[in-house]
Amino acid sequence: MIVLNSSDGATFEVEESVAVQSQTIKHMIEDNCADTSIPLPNVNGVTLARVLEYIKKHAEAKDDEEGLKSFDAEFVKVDQASLFEIILAANYLDIKGLLDLTCQTVADQIKDLTVEEVRAIFNIMNDFTPEEEAKLRNDHAWAFE
Amino acid sequence: MRGPLPHPVTPAPGGGAATPVSETFQEVQRGGKKRGSYNCGRCGLPKKGHSCHIPKNATTTTPTATPSTDSAASSVAIPSPLSTVRPPPPPPHRQHFSNLRRALSFDDDIDARDSQDEGEDEEEHQEDEEELLELEPEPDLAGSGKLPMSCLWEVLRRLPPPALLSAARVCKGWRDTSKRLWRAAEELRLRVPAKAQIGFVGSVLHKCPGLVRLSLRMESDVDATMLACIAFSCPNLETMEIFTSDTSINRITGDELGRFVADKRCLTSIKMEGCSNLGGLVLCSTSLSTIWLSDLQCLAKIVFSCPNLTEISLNFSRQENDSTDLTTMVSSLGRTCPRLENIHIASLRLSHTVVLALTDANLRGLRMLSLVLGSEITDASVAAIASSYSNLELLDLSGSGISDSGIGMICNVFPETLSRLLLALCPNITSSGIQFAAAQLPLLELMDCGMSICDPNSKGSSSLERNEGDLQKTLNNTMHIIYQKLIIKHSRLKKLSLWGCSGLDALHLNCPELNDLNLNCCKNLHPERLLLQCPNLESVHATGCQDMLVDTIQSQMCSDYTAVDSLVPCKRLPDGSKRVQAPHFSPKPSGDEKIWKRASKRHCTVFLNS
Repeated sequence: MIVLNSSDGATFEVEESVAVQSQTIKHMIEDNCADTSIPLPNVNGVTLARVLEYIKKHAEAKDDEEGLKSFDAEFVKVDQASLFEIILAANYLDIKGLLDLTCQTVADQIKDLTVEEVRAIFNIMNDFTPEEEAKLRNDHAWAFE
Repeated sequence: MRGPLPHPVTPAPGGGAATPVSETFQEVQRGGKKRGSYNCGRCGLPKKGHSCHIPKNATTTTPTATPSTDSAASSVAIPSPLSTVRPPPPPPHRQHFSNLRRALSFDDDIDARDSQDEGEDEEEHQEDEEELLELEPEPDLAGSGKLPMSCLWEVLRRLPPPALLSAARVCKGWRDTSKRLWRAAEELRLRVPAKAQIGFVGSVLHKCPGLVRLSLRMESDVDATMLACIAFSCPNLETMEIFTSDTSINRITGDELGRFVADKRCLTSIKMEGCSNLGGLVLCSTSLSTIWLSDLQCLAKIVFSCPNLTEISLNFSRQENDSTDLTTMVSSLGRTCPRLENIHIASLRLSHTVVLALTDANLRGLRMLSLVLGSEITDASVAAIASSYSNLELLDLSGSGISDSGIGMICNVFPETLSRLLLALCPNITSSGIQFAAAQLPLLELMDCGMSICDPNSKGSSSLERNEGDLQKTLNNTMHIIYQKLIIKHSRLKKLSLWGCSGLDALHLNCPELNDLNLNCCKNLHPERLLLQCPNLESVHATGCQDMLVDTIQSQMCSDYTAVDSLVPCKRLPDGSKRVQAPHFSPKPSGDEKIWKRASKRHCTVFLNS
């Protein structure tokens, strides 16, 4: 059993065979950095719990394609902020399947949005000058007939 | 309260302790790869561990262009070494080519995986990842929606090209990330809309100089300026595909194509549709290994001087008066392209003479031969092929005039190698010939015996089906007045097509590996004379069959399994196909509920409205 410590002090236990879906954790174990517990300062408790839910499910139901598909579909039905947290965690923990799933979800969400809508979702400032904006818009005007 | 900050967290103020780590980062990353700029655009110092106090000039947008130095907002946690040095995962390379209206694809037909690629987003954008300097996420990002560069990269690279172009307009960080994505792009699949000008494709191609594989679906006309544009923008291009559509005309001439190919030293594969304006073609290239051209017509001269050519597919348009001299072309193929392994030629003008030229060519590596639509191909042609090329793995003589004795010759020569045999639209073969083939060819995995004329409006749904409705010839139907019976027992057969065999009234299949069965338009197949003993059957195409036949198929699919559920759910899907669940026998029967639930359920789908 591996013990994981989140950034906010929560502790989680998980089987090693499940935990090695995270390449980060796998390397830590291989390098013997994981005798007592593994600190994960970049992942908070809530997110870590969700990530563990994902890898546990994918470990136990490995062959059940349809079940996993529906699990995945439900798994990403969370609010934007949580989704980003999970992306960051998956990135940090290097869990390919989870990263694929979450990034694809976000990509699908934004692919049909306008630029303003994307900014709203991501809470991003428009830092272009008007000239730069105009140039960008003209560059590809014909792509958006 | 901190307002929204510029995105992503590129200029990251941090403690002085962060600075030395930045050096470590850059060394630790895989060397030798091109990177974007890591220097702050304003003051020129490296961005990592740097807080820039130079305010932006001439900005009229809302403030906070200068990142605030509040440590709470943007302190960069000193990363633990292990987390940042992971190599980005290689993207799945989905090399799928939609069928260029060919009779068959030289890709493995057996692999059911290919079918999922049809009809997908044509505007996909996949590329290799550049290795990026990873920036650590901030601990308290919750709610602010910021993503570090690497995560943003992961999201943006899954966008289709138009969305990616639009993402560049969100903010500078996104613009830079998308620029990098384009630069790193190795594969691009683009749909060019009808009103697009060359400038559009030019500007897109300009962004991805590293492009290796390009696929264009043209809805506007295409001519040599497109080739010039591609030649100019993509020096490393290896694979090029140009698909046309109903709204577009391909005006590229043979000279222009020849020049393009000659200049591109790394081009290995070229596929082009709509080649009706070529006029003549001389392709000289030492790098080309695959050529697919379709809609060819009236070519004055065709020379392929490509010593490394392994695969060639030439689809001529279905015109009776095509003046192309196929015989000369084929003989020259033998001289100039000795390494050919796969040949596909579809032309109404194929004849015995052409076959003789081919057999004289002595292509030692020939493994797949497909000569379709040539009604003048006869049993004598089969004899010639069999004597010259005895190692064929695929033989497709659909639309030819061969008879059961031709099949006999095939079975004499090819039993040790032949795995795919396609004899659709061959009016002179009978069910005994087919049965003989099935019995004598133990390695057979795919057999296509669509026998009679089909309704021009109906298209088969299996990937084997071609648009045979274009054929105007009326086949001799007299032999179908006496209905025929087909019994096939084969241990390896995976795909069987009996599409349009309206002369069949009885069918008995004992094929444990059979996955796909096409019975479209087998109008006279009698439900009571159908016996399917094929436990692995996954799809049955039964458009145009009697309703009772469909029911029989279903009940036979279910009856193979005397499983726990006696009531097998069966529902009709919106497209009219019925999905029948056939529970799979669990190999380790146990009382454990969980294991039973996880056992894969095999679905046998009956397609009715394909």
